[in-house]
Amino acid sequence: MRTNRIRRAKDRALGIVGLLAGCLILFPVFYGVMGAFKSPAEFIAYPPTVFSKSFGYFKNFETVFTQVPMLRYFLNSLIVAGMSTAVRLALAVLAAYAFVFYRFRGRKLLFFLLLGTMMIPADTLTITNYQTVSHLRLLDTYLGMGIVFFVGASQMFMLRQHFMAAPTSVREAALLDGCGDGRFILSILVPMSGPLLTTLFLQSFITVWNAYLWPLLVTNGNDMRTVQVGVTMLTTIEGTNYETVLAGATVAMLPAIALFLIMRRYLSRAMSGGALIT
Amino acid sequence: MSMYVGGKAGRGAKRLERAKPYLFLLPMIVFAVGFVYYPFLKTALQSFSNVNFRGETTGFSGLENYRYLFSRREFGIAVRNTLKLTLINVPVTLALTLLMAWLGSRRRFLGPVYETMFALPMVISMSAITLVFKVLLNPSVGFVNYALGLRIGWYEDRHTAMSGILLLTVWMGLGFNFLLFQSAFKAIPDDLLGSARLEGAGPVRILLQIQLPLISPTILYVLCTNMIQAMMTSGPILILTQGGPSRSTITMIYLMYTSGYSSSNYSLAAAVSMIAFLMTLLFTLLLFLMEKRRVHYQ
Repeated sequence: MRTNRIRRAKDRALGIVGLLAGCLILFPVFYGVMGAFKSPAEFIAYPPTVFSKSFGYFKNFETVFTQVPMLRYFLNSLIVAGMSTAVRLALAVLAAYAFVFYRFRGRKLLFFLLLGTMMIPADTLTITNYQTVSHLRLLDTYLGMGIVFFVGASQMFMLRQHFMAAPTSVREAALLDGCGDGRFILSILVPMSGPLLTTLFLQSFITVWNAYLWPLLVTNGNDMRTVQVGVTMLTTIEGTNYETVLAGATVAMLPAIALFLIMRRYLSRAMSGGALIT
Repeated sequence: MSMYVGGKAGRGAKRLERAKPYLFLLPMIVFAVGFVYYPFLKTALQSFSNVNFRGETTGFSGLENYRYLFSRREFGIAVRNTLKLTLINVPVTLALTLLMAWLGSRRRFLGPVYETMFALPMVISMSAITLVFKVLLNPSVGFVNYALGLRIGWYEDRHTAMSGILLLTVWMGLGFNFLLFQSAFKAIPDDLLGSARLEGAGPVRILLQIQLPLISPTILYVLCTNMIQAMMTSGPILILTQGGPSRSTITMIYLMYTSGYSSSNYSLAAAVSMIAFLMTLLFTLLLFLMEKRRVHYQ
């Protein structure tokens, strides 16, 4: 009885420690969102506060959307992240399919050639890739912004592991029934890998959505900026103040937070599925 | 089907069948070569060549770019700053996220709430949280100085700017690494922990002698990815400090960016990125050597 009560008290105490730690970690996010709702006078008032008294003050958001073409930025980010994630997964599925269901010369070599891309950090290649994209006249285009994200070796690897678990008899039966490679992939393999593909899609999408250095390099036109690059422009525009910057940051954060809360289970599974994903 | 089709058509079908796997692999290989291996080799070559502002190689220059790079004060500062970031960021993140994951490793009161809170930084974009930290650590209107009674200049003072960057980069790594460690902790069989408890082992002993050894592959993975990420730090520098005040926050990738993009000195940028790559590779190898000794696979 007593040990039970002690154990429960300890459990409660640790739970509260966890909650406090969580609040501390999320404090910057909370502070940013609150600050976005403050009027200029409230913001520079001393002592500084966390909570916004004038909750319901939306002028900062108005400023954000009029100073920079925020909706256009969202559209750009959506197109680039959606397109490059789709291409990345399509290429990965095709490659994984070849590795699992075919025996051919150079199979091992090509497999390690693709996996080897993970050894070279993408950031060290940005300047040279910039030259390539510029030569191809792809600056300020969606294709140029997404093209460096097309190769997903870790996604290919995860899919390969998953496909290997599929019984070969399924494919043999499908082939006997006159089902070609394309139909086999689309109507059997892809539906079979639904949850994995969803997690890989989410994970890649967030990575590309949050990318900064590359989209900064290859976009010059104000219309082609992504959300991540676009919001930082708020700091350089004359006359913008802290509240506006925070409103911009809030606009950039909220969709991802919403997506996270909705898809939390999938995201956690993406992590536990394998440590290799980047 | 092909058994009854003789002659040319049959041979053609056979050839197609043999070519198929290569066709499936082709798209991914094209992009892997075009946007990873080709730029990598080109960067290596450019670092030993004269390259004009249009990106055209005009001649071989041996080690001249490297000699010039090593002679510049900025480069020494960039290397030192990058190493400092890495050597502090990696162990601090490791300790914090292990602790968080340990808290999240068992069903507990309020567990689902704080576990969600711990994981959330994962989806916050670098540029958004960087802007928030810029305001949060602002010496006059920011909340941190006021709440803690500090008078620190943070990003506006060359002695403290790096600490501000570190706070930010550690924060950014919390969510992802927490999730990785949490699932590693959860994968440890319950009966293993239960029997240790029955034998009277306390939580600290269980952590040190059972849990940490069992999750050591994940620890190695997190060490590697965090190290690479820290070595590649550039975003917060670009947004917050532009390498300042008085060059106190220049990092290697930031230097690569400014010399390559802003000054169009491609050979210099190539030399910087080669050094950054080699240092990262060296650290990765060192971590894997450590793995041979310490990491236990089940």
